[in-house]
Amino acid sequence: MNPIRIDPQKALDEAMKFNQKLTAGMKTLRSLDEVDYGATAKEEVYREDKLVLYHFKGAGKPSAKTPLLISYALVNRPYMVDLQDDRSLVKNLLALGEDIYLIDWGYPDPSDRYLTLDDYINGYIRRCVDVVAKRHNVEKINLLGICQGGAFSLCFASIYPEKIRNLITMVTPVDFHTPDNMLSHWTRGMDVDLFVDTLGNVPADLMNWCYLTLKPVRLNQQKYIGLVDILDDKAELENFLRMEKWIFDSPDQAGEAFRQFIKDFYQANKLVTGGLKIGDKDVSLNNVSMPVLNIFAEQDHLVPPSASRPLKNLAGTKDYTELAFKGGHIGIYVSGRAQREVPTAIHDWLAQR
Amino acid sequence: MSDKKSPQDWMNDWQALQKQYWSAWSDAAKQSTGQAPPSNTPWHEGLEQWSRMFANPGSQSETAERLLGSAKNYVALMQSMVAAATGKPGGADPMQAWSEAFRNGFNMPGMDASLLNNPMAAMLQGIRGESAHGFDQLAQSFAPFLAQAKQEGMSWLQAPAFGYAREHQEHYQKMMAAFVEYQEAMKQYNALILKSSARSFEIFENKLAERAEPGRQIDSLRGLYDVWVDAAEEAYGEIALSDEFRKVYGSVVNAQMRVRAQIQAEVERIGVDLGMPTRTELNSVHKRLHDMRRASLASNNAELQKEIDQLRKEVRMLRDAVDGKKHAPPSTPSTRIEKAKPDTTPKRKHAAAVAKPRAASKQATPSFGEALGAMRAVAPATASNKPATAVTGAHAKRAAGKGSKA
Repeated sequence: MNPIRIDPQKALDEAMKFNQKLTAGMKTLRSLDEVDYGATAKEEVYREDKLVLYHFKGAGKPSAKTPLLISYALVNRPYMVDLQDDRSLVKNLLALGEDIYLIDWGYPDPSDRYLTLDDYINGYIRRCVDVVAKRHNVEKINLLGICQGGAFSLCFASIYPEKIRNLITMVTPVDFHTPDNMLSHWTRGMDVDLFVDTLGNVPADLMNWCYLTLKPVRLNQQKYIGLVDILDDKAELENFLRMEKWIFDSPDQAGEAFRQFIKDFYQANKLVTGGLKIGDKDVSLNNVSMPVLNIFAEQDHLVPPSASRPLKNLAGTKDYTELAFKGGHIGIYVSGRAQREVPTAIHDWLAQR
Repeated sequence: MSDKKSPQDWMNDWQALQKQYWSAWSDAAKQSTGQAPPSNTPWHEGLEQWSRMFANPGSQSETAERLLGSAKNYVALMQSMVAAATGKPGGADPMQAWSEAFRNGFNMPGMDASLLNNPMAAMLQGIRGESAHGFDQLAQSFAPFLAQAKQEGMSWLQAPAFGYAREHQEHYQKMMAAFVEYQEAMKQYNALILKSSARSFEIFENKLAERAEPGRQIDSLRGLYDVWVDAAEEAYGEIALSDEFRKVYGSVVNAQMRVRAQIQAEVERIGVDLGMPTRTELNSVHKRLHDMRRASLASNNAELQKEIDQLRKEVRMLRDAVDGKKHAPPSTPSTRIEKAKPDTTPKRKHAAAVAKPRAASKQATPSFGEALGAMRAVAPATASNKPATAVTGAHAKRAAGKGSKA
């Protein structure tokens, strides 16, 4: 039997409708203002160099006694966790009674080229953790690391287990050498010393180009064909544009930190093989002794589940929980399912500890 | 599709449908721009008018540009598929016919010849967008020189350099050699991308074959397109995860970096000749600054913490002293306290002397607030390097005053 049963008249109608939607949508597109982002009120509580530590303000007083600090990746802006009113991990966690802090790394410029992972982890994160702990008069706080920020959080928790009560990792790569990890596969042929020595800071556009080439047709064409379907819906269009802004609003990467991250994590896979040092501190996941909640996305093309799952056997904790989310690397923050499932899972898990 | 019509009937229908489509395009375009698109042109050219409307930078122009770029390809693809649906209602191998229609749909008139039958390469080239200018453009501008070098058998690139300008000549030779190396690496990369395009059509046909069973047949252009996208990504994934691709990808990146490094060196040389600041000297300053900061933090952290603890103890004692309570002096006074006046000094004066010896000697009885302020001023050089425990309070108060930036 012929697998294609496309009626010519219906095909033409489809083409016409596409044309009409595009025509009407273009007018809508031109009438839109610049999209805004960020749904939740927050105050700056600490600032160092380009880093700003924010404390989010919920409608009510937090019921949680231990504050939760979110450490986001360096490669994208952290407002993804509080993108808009109906797509906000932060807002939902606040509503459940959590007390949330967030590290905003800022946009590194050429003067930040020599920032190392030591500066980020033993410096910035440690000082932010201390600030939060002091504000709440506690010795330990809860830490939520996302993506690369999750890898940083694992390092931090390994070096300073006495400062972390509970650790949550979201879409966090641990084993960088799984066969389905395209990004890691590509980096292993790169001379990263030559790369950083030449570029200094790694430009955001170059990083984005690399991400788009992971799925060139889906991310560069099919997504925009799909956009035509929602061009007549202003609210949906604004949601799309907000996401689009987040995707391409990326900071440059501090050169030395990038060099070490690629060498030690992507190329040498030291979180798994051992021998990782951040500054003069040894990192061993065996030292991650506090309770761990590891959340990953089943359709994640950037951090495949196979890259996250090994944490179960590598972490020294006896209290390990895993949550497989049905969605992708971005959907885990912004999809409708994520709003229902992820904050509740985090809150319930914390409440039990 | 019905099989009852003759090929001529289908052709007539097809022409009628095209006309209908173009009427709609004309109406839409007239409404917006007052100009009708010319007839008998490929469908995607109707979108050119929209592209012109978004040519000027605006808040949504980048998205509009990407949308129109994708839409143009998709419309061309639709035109090819509608033609296939109309003109080939069966045949010996319908899947191959659809695959062929797809292949033709990607070959838009006027496109770069290197992209023909290579939709994946077109896709990768399209990522940059039409307004962005990448490294490829720079490489293209060097292409004539490279062609000339190749004509000469590349021999001069290996020729030894002599005399006053030998260093410069050697540098230019290295730069050209790096460009040649980059071109060769790109050639290998493009060959793999072409392979992935070819493979995408093979997988596409296989995927179509899987849809032959009742209930799984494809009845829309979008449905067909989505199957091709799955096939294309699968084909690309196969290639991109291969060892060969890893090696070639690494070669492209490394070769490009060598070219950039050579160009940077040349720009720096010119900058130095003209007395302009250079990247190297800025890097040097930045590196020194970071190194100094780290050294300062490392040496101060432990020492400072100890001192802070001691000072806190002192503050407690001072507070008690101000309140009139009697306390014995601390058993392990800090270095600064040891340098202060002897124990015979009255307690309040002693505190001021500790903090600000010269000023204190001129004051009769400093207040607690003055003494505390003076103590904070003891180590002004370390203030910016204080650990978080020391600076938090001040920052927090300032921040609270500023309010949210959200």
